[in-house]
Amino acid sequence: MSASDLLDRRLVVVTGKGGVGKSTVSAALAVLAARRGKRVLVAEVDARERVAPMLGGRPSGPVIRPVLPGISTVNVDPRHALEEYALMVVRVRAIYQAVFENRVVRFFLRAVPSLAETLMLGKVLHEARSEAHGRPRWDLVVVDAPATGHAVQLLGTPRALLDTVPGGPLRRDAEWMQALLSAPDRTAVALVSLPEEMPVTETAELDAQLGQGLSLPRGPVFLNAMPGAMFTTSELDGLRGLSPSAPPLGPAARAALLQGAQRERAEAQAVRLRELLGRDVVPLPLLAADRWGRRAVERIADAMDGQV
Amino acid sequence: MGALLRSLQGKRIAIVVGSGGVGKTSVAAAIALSRAMAGGRALVCTIDPARRLATALGLGTLGNAEALVPPEAFTRAGLASTGQLFAMMLDVKRTWDDLVTRHAPDAATRDRILGNRIYQQVSGALAGSQEYMAMEKLYELSTERDYDLIVLDTPPTAHALDFLEAPDRILDFVGNETARKLFAPALDAGRFGARLLQVGTGFVAKTLSRFTGSDVLSDVGDFLGQFQGMYDGFKERATEVRSLLTRPEVGFVLVASPSPLSVDEALFFHDHLRTAGMPVAGSVANRVTPDLWPFPGPTPGASPLAEALAAGPGSGGADGGLDLAERLSLALSQHQSFAHSDAREVERLRRGASGPHVAVPRLEGDVHDLAGLAALAAHL
Ligand SMILES: Nc1ncnc2c1ncn2[C@@H]1O[C@H](COP(=O)(O)OP(=O)(O)OP(=O)(O)O)[C@@H](O)[C@H]1O
Ligand SMILES: Nc1ncnc2c1ncn2[C@@H]1O[C@H](COP(=O)(O)OP(=O)(O)OP(=O)(O)O)[C@@H](O)[C@H]1O
Ligand SMILES: [Mg+2]
Ligand SMILES: [Mg+2]
Repeated sequence: MSASDLLDRRLVVVTGKGGVGKSTVSAALAVLAARRGKRVLVAEVDARERVAPMLGGRPSGPVIRPVLPGISTVNVDPRHALEEYALMVVRVRAIYQAVFENRVVRFFLRAVPSLAETLMLGKVLHEARSEAHGRPRWDLVVVDAPATGHAVQLLGTPRALLDTVPGGPLRRDAEWMQALLSAPDRTAVALVSLPEEMPVTETAELDAQLGQGLSLPRGPVFLNAMPGAMFTTSELDGLRGLSPSAPPLGPAARAALLQGAQRERAEAQAVRLRELLGRDVVPLPLLAADRWGRRAVERIADAMDGQV
Repeated sequence: MGALLRSLQGKRIAIVVGSGGVGKTSVAAAIALSRAMAGGRALVCTIDPARRLATALGLGTLGNAEALVPPEAFTRAGLASTGQLFAMMLDVKRTWDDLVTRHAPDAATRDRILGNRIYQQVSGALAGSQEYMAMEKLYELSTERDYDLIVLDTPPTAHALDFLEAPDRILDFVGNETARKLFAPALDAGRFGARLLQVGTGFVAKTLSRFTGSDVLSDVGDFLGQFQGMYDGFKERATEVRSLLTRPEVGFVLVASPSPLSVDEALFFHDHLRTAGMPVAGSVANRVTPDLWPFPGPTPGASPLAEALAAGPGSGGADGGLDLAERLSLALSQHQSFAHSDAREVERLRRGASGPHVAVPRLEGDVHDLAGLAALAAHL
């Protein structure tokens, strides 16, 4: 799949190492899709909610809320996902409360392999396939998934359930979930990385785990916070001699040298990432933003435009 | 010696905490390294899945046992050390298994627990399990070995409180009477009854099994039943571990990157440590952008820079000079914008956290060898 039809999927799952810019990329994808006239839902999974605030809105919590024209957000948490699902199964709220609101049962449910993940993933995937008035409720559902290890666990649950649960409602759910997740015309997993050694290494491992391991359709890899190429090598060589100069030249030369060194390291990591992945990556610029909010996200969306 | 290292001088245990990727492992190793260079016997116990630390210390791999960093590694890095530096990597599963083995009344119970599916989940993937085992290992090392300083690196905890609450939460479950009766109703069906949750254990279990399958439930029942005899031993141990953390010989080191989220996290943790009576040894803001324009007024525009360039030796033509000057002006103003937002967060951390505070600049390149760790230590 080329990066350029990413937003034509119904479901885009965004993941990567902690702090690399997953929420930013999710928000920017939503902004870009909304600009193209799509109705978008961004779902965070058991997160300290970031996307709605980044877009200038209030956190949604577990209930879907509109934040901007064309964009709604939700933060799926295990407790509410369990409640919704359990109520579908037991139907009676009093029974639900008696059984599931117990501290011990709660811990137990967390210890049961994959249950919380299944319920949260189920809720998100359900949104991606739900219809209203004969057409899809959302043109695009963007999942701002948890960081690496947890994301693999999350995305692997339907498969794990199919391997272990012989029948019943949970198995039927796992079946449609797996079918949706692995359909390349409907779903893509987009990775976010930083041009630094550890994130690059982790991204390559994650890409293999998701692709070869879980057979999920892989979308583009975003290389976030790439410093721009501001100075040529020969300019930097010339500036080296100027860095001890008095202000303003000395400090400016030192800033340029630091920028140049940072750019060089980032470029080397970008090359490494392309080699490890065996395919191209989508660079996103490092922004000097004072507040990380809607304006920054719009600028990241601008940079994506034409690339996705 | 910097303020943080000085504050750690009287400590026997340093626990390095902070959100993901901020430099906990690097700081932990640098602390241990400097104690070794000062002549002490220091151990760094890490949880670093990327195994970077092993490489940085010149060790092939790290395992659940302590390994001495060879003195040649110091010489090669151009460092003089009169002490000894040891390193190890916590193996969470192994530590759990050791704990079960120690407390199990007999081999049959032990094997049954080790083979139980729920036990494997609890000891492997369950949130809080790593944290619990990190503390457990720390206790074992501090009572059974004679290091001058043990530095514990902690896992990248999504929620700071997990670290402090993990043992209680896990023990609460494995030792919980209600849980045991709920999942093993057969054990003492007679004494129990429909009082539980006003609905009855049978009903609860039946409802749950519609979600999980009945195999899982009987695994849980079996696990809790087996665990019952070992619970007291576990509980006692956890209490000792907890009280260890409040002793004056322990110092928590908070590490944050100069970003709002990371500083929030560090301060949140700080307040909880204080409430729990656990000593804070200081805080580290890591990878800080240096301030290159500590003058009043904005950074220079292109023209003063172009003039300075033209006045300097070997300056290019006036045209090239102006274009370069514009980019220099931009580079400095962008740099300063990072420096200012970093400084704001560093200040917030310094004010909010008790104990000495140090700021470590963003070093050139990764901290990937002993020399790099020593360079980092110089800022602590
Ligand atoms: N392109 C960029 N340029 C500069 N700073 C950036 C960029 N992208 C992200 N950041 C900074 O990194 C911070 C973290 O970004 P974000 O919340 O998107 O990451 P995340 O991967 O979702 O984190 P988490 O793992 O905590 O969910 C932002 O608040 C912002 O300060
Ligand atoms: N002051 C510094 N300057 C430059 N690079 C640094 C600095 N401190 C740490 N690093 C680098 O940052 C990366 C992350 O550091 P480290 O592994 O110590 O973080 P961590 O908090 O232990 O991460 P995790 O939460 O994933 O365990 C490493 O590549 C390390 O070399
Ligand atoms: Mg996020
Ligand atoms: Mg680490």
